[in-house]
Amino acid sequence: MPLKGRVALVTGGSRGIGRAITLKLAEQGADVVINYFRKRSTAQLTAQEAQGKGVTACTIKANVGEPEQIGRMFDEIETRFGRLDILVNNAASGVARTALELDDRGWDWTMDINARAFLLCVQRAARLMKNGGKIVSISSLGARMVWPIYTAVGVSKAALEALTRYLAIELAPKGICVNGVSASAVESEALRMYVADQGLAESFWQTTPAGRMVRQEDIASVVAFLCSDDSIMIRGQIIVIDGGLSLSPISPTAREDRQGDEHGRP
Amino acid sequence: MTVEETVKSIAARILRKPDLDFGPAATFKDFGADSLDIVQILVAVEDAYDIELDEDELQNVTDVAGFVSYVERKVGEKG
Repeated sequence: MPLKGRVALVTGGSRGIGRAITLKLAEQGADVVINYFRKRSTAQLTAQEAQGKGVTACTIKANVGEPEQIGRMFDEIETRFGRLDILVNNAASGVARTALELDDRGWDWTMDINARAFLLCVQRAARLMKNGGKIVSISSLGARMVWPIYTAVGVSKAALEALTRYLAIELAPKGICVNGVSASAVESEALRMYVADQGLAESFWQTTPAGRMVRQEDIASVVAFLCSDDSIMIRGQIIVIDGGLSLSPISPTAREDRQGDEHGRP
Repeated sequence: MTVEETVKSIAARILRKPDLDFGPAATFKDFGADSLDIVQILVAVEDAYDIELDEDELQNVTDVAGFVSYVERKVGEKG
């Protein structure tokens, strides 16, 4: 139980990748605060699952795109726990448009939730990390690669990654480690919602050298490592979790008839 | 305030159309709503009544009147 006794906040922690991270941290002993935006029932189910692992789990509703809601969320954490040891900035949203179709509202919505919220959460979290802490941002390969209608999200994730580096240096003297993870398309509800064209999702595993798409659990495991004491000397890095995709977009090992097992073996 | 009045008030604020007036079979898109507007309307209605609106169930809602009826049902279920 490497995280036993730690208090962790996972924004957007009730479903998808956030849920996998919440449950992984709970499995490793952390008490978890699950932030959610809309689905209280889903958040409560995730909290029950976490509690089943023997930790304390609670839910807090907040749209992280709204600064005052972030403030209320941290007020509640401070009242309830008096401290925070881990922040996983996972909550994300975005308007799926080409650059020429994007309007200012869609841009602001995406940037506020994906990038500004990270800054505002860290500002509050750092005050609660009195004995140091771990902060992990969840990015995506769309910050560096170009995907269809991903403009706003990709740019917001690029800002998130840059902020991760700046925060890592600024917060290092406080004993706070800041890192990020960047995943290629992950098998998730969000991907299904975002990519109506299933042919695009399929193309990811066909061209992934590891032989399968990245799963939510792959992200959760790396996040848990970055939240552990073992990662103390990793600072300001964005760990890419993509099965080798970004190194070899047209993989010689990927064929239409090849679908790897759990470890990508044929 | 009735559910219809609340939905109208929320939509008018989000769509920035103070004189918004729903007609028969009108849809939010008839008033210029895009997908972001619709998400914001859903969230505001959920917050107003402390209810959860189900995306799958909303697939069957085709117009504003149907949306109002759906919200009324969810409010009723909450009790």
